[in-house]
Amino acid sequence: MSATIETIREAIGRTREARERVQQHRSTDAVIAVLAQTAKNWLDPNSPWRKRAVESAPKHMGFSEAMVQEAIDLTFGAINYESLGELLDRELGNRRVLDEFCLRGRVQSRAVAPRLLVHFLAGNVPMPGIVSICCGLLLRTANLVKVSSRDPVFPSLFIGSVREVDTELADCVASIEWSRDELALTQTALEDADAVIAYGDDQTISALRQLASPQARFLGYGHKFSFAVVAKEAMTEENLPHLAQAAAFDASVYDQLGCLSPHVYYVEERGQLGPRKFAAALADAMAAYQARVPRGQLPLEEAAQNAKFRACYEFRAASDKRMEVWASPTGNDWTVIYDDSPSFIPSCLNRTVFVKPTDGYKRVLDAIQKIASSVSSVGVAPMNERALGFASDLARMGVHRVCPIGQMQRPPLSWHHDGRPNLADLVSWTDLG
Amino acid sequence: MDKAASDLQRRVFALISRGVAQATTDEEFEGLAREVFAFQYERCAVYRAYCDRRKQTPQSVMHWKEIPATPTSAFKDFALTCFPVEQAVAEFHTSGTTRELSGKHFLATLELYHAAIGPNFAAHLLPDGARLPMMILTPSPEEAQHSSLSHMMGVVMKEFGADDSAYYVEGGQVLVEKLVRDLCEIQWAHQPVFLLGTAFALVHLFDHLEQQNLKFEMSEGSRVMETGGFKGRSRELSKADLYALFESVLGIPTTHVVNEYGMTELSTQFYDATLRVGRRTDGKAVPPWARVLIIDPNTGKEAADNERGLVRIFDLANLWSMMCVQTEDLGIARVSDSSLVEFEVLGRSAGAEVRGCSLNAENIVME
Repeated sequence: MSATIETIREAIGRTREARERVQQHRSTDAVIAVLAQTAKNWLDPNSPWRKRAVESAPKHMGFSEAMVQEAIDLTFGAINYESLGELLDRELGNRRVLDEFCLRGRVQSRAVAPRLLVHFLAGNVPMPGIVSICCGLLLRTANLVKVSSRDPVFPSLFIGSVREVDTELADCVASIEWSRDELALTQTALEDADAVIAYGDDQTISALRQLASPQARFLGYGHKFSFAVVAKEAMTEENLPHLAQAAAFDASVYDQLGCLSPHVYYVEERGQLGPRKFAAALADAMAAYQARVPRGQLPLEEAAQNAKFRACYEFRAASDKRMEVWASPTGNDWTVIYDDSPSFIPSCLNRTVFVKPTDGYKRVLDAIQKIASSVSSVGVAPMNERALGFASDLARMGVHRVCPIGQMQRPPLSWHHDGRPNLADLVSWTDLG
Repeated sequence: MDKAASDLQRRVFALISRGVAQATTDEEFEGLAREVFAFQYERCAVYRAYCDRRKQTPQSVMHWKEIPATPTSAFKDFALTCFPVEQAVAEFHTSGTTRELSGKHFLATLELYHAAIGPNFAAHLLPDGARLPMMILTPSPEEAQHSSLSHMMGVVMKEFGADDSAYYVEGGQVLVEKLVRDLCEIQWAHQPVFLLGTAFALVHLFDHLEQQNLKFEMSEGSRVMETGGFKGRSRELSKADLYALFESVLGIPTTHVVNEYGMTELSTQFYDATLRVGRRTDGKAVPPWARVLIIDPNTGKEAADNERGLVRIFDLANLWSMMCVQTEDLGIARVSDSSLVEFEVLGRSAGAEVRGCSLNAENIVME
């Protein structure tokens, strides 16, 4: 059934009614408990929700079944009673401010949630959408979720799984799919929204920003990219296998299509082992991960990009000793390209990773200076004093997250997504006194 | 040139000179293709290194389809020649954007290059043997020495054009006013005309005609050869929309509009068979000295019939550069009524909507 103006208005009406009831009967703590229980249910290997996602998600998202399993573990592994509570406490100072006036400094204040939060989800990485819905529910607002055709599965299954635990709370969310070209539907959805969360490319986000009411709070999350740096301290014989495995995980998860997926590993020279050794070990680890979690089948255009990219570097590497290519023996499952030019080169993705030698953190900063505003996360190994200095430099350049290699795909729930809080930007405050 | 090389060139030349009417059997093509492969493997060190890396050498390759293809990107990174590059008689450059390097195709001789142009062009654009005034919407070969398209235009104008043929692009500008004046004259003289040019330049002409509110009714027998590529310099127009304009604005029916598919890296052109078979088709004929394979980019193997894939071209006329070229264009193989294998080009493999939320090579702005 395709969405119409009526179905959207009707869904908004329903979620608003549910919100009224939930506002009266549910404490924030009770909502945290519901969401934590829901996430726990998903983590059960025999969860019917997991089973349904694994059955129906691959064909929409283009991931293998094993990748969908991994996505479930990553997404719901991050959501639990502690992390949800921490998110509220960290951003609002105290989770109870959503329920009552609380003393904040010398003033008693209460956080007021938006009445209608509209979510525009995009792409095929499920976690941001699920977290977005969780935020809406934590605030006990009415939520309308526009799902992406790349992932119509996870949002609706997630809402269903919340309903299993708490029907009334689940009624606060409605998910609907429509095409971004149907402007009238998007306008209808935005008519009464006092808060909007939008994921997508810059163009989509600025179009939505234009359509939203000027009074509405608008959180836009554009497309970004990530990379990582291996410092010489990490390049030891003992450390390499573990490090390569962690790096392969970060680069392979979501088939490298997420904004947290690294394009390039810069490896510092003059370690016990050289950067080429890292590339070779990474290739082995990519192969091992592929055996466990195969990459999805690529649509023709992406496969063509991939083939073009690989052929270009294989041809060069054949006679240019400054380059080397490790490629999956069959098909185009994964490719590791060693290239000793320090300049940053974006990957065609789908598990195609560059390894580049570097003279040190300073050189990495030079290489990415011009594109720093599009960087999401920077992975580092090891996370030591020197890495902290590097992180401070990155912070000054506008990079919002530095984390250990192996953790790139596991941002904590309370991270500053694109440098901003998740909930604090959505609420307003009423002060007493 | 040593004897082995001149002998091979002579035989390739003989095949091309036979014209396009008589197809080559697979065996016939195979023999020559493998010889050319061995020749290129021996004489082009970077190609040899690539073949060795892929473990596909003249000793191991058992069929012409297994001959390693050189990606077009390699023409940007290397001088891919089977002769000392300083002896090149001509070099053609791809028109890359300022951000990227351009690919270069060096020619050892113009003999094969020219032989591949003439009969193929005549068969697909002038099957009636007409000699028409050619209005060419590209710079002249003198102005654009490194443009393979301009060079080809020079060859066909000299060989097939009427005396009043001319070029209508100068200093990067389409000379629309001169073009309109000359079109008027030819129309009044009830003469058929032959327009040739890039889709980009032709769109420019149509934009001008629309602005001036001008329409023509060119005489029967008029025709158009358009060649792809807008490269972002004018408004995008689908092939169908562009062809409809030829009919409505110039009075040239779509049965007389032929798309040419050519590449700087190749010596041979491919044309829609429309005029040759007398009805509109997007299928392109493959001349006897060439072969086209559609490659499944997921497997690197030949795609199944009627499945889309990347166009790979085997062009024997590229004897001195790279015979087997992997393009970045998507295409599909079709078996036509006459059981001649044709292929259709579906355009560049780019612009796919991103599935995830990462920026990729296509959209990270690096300047």
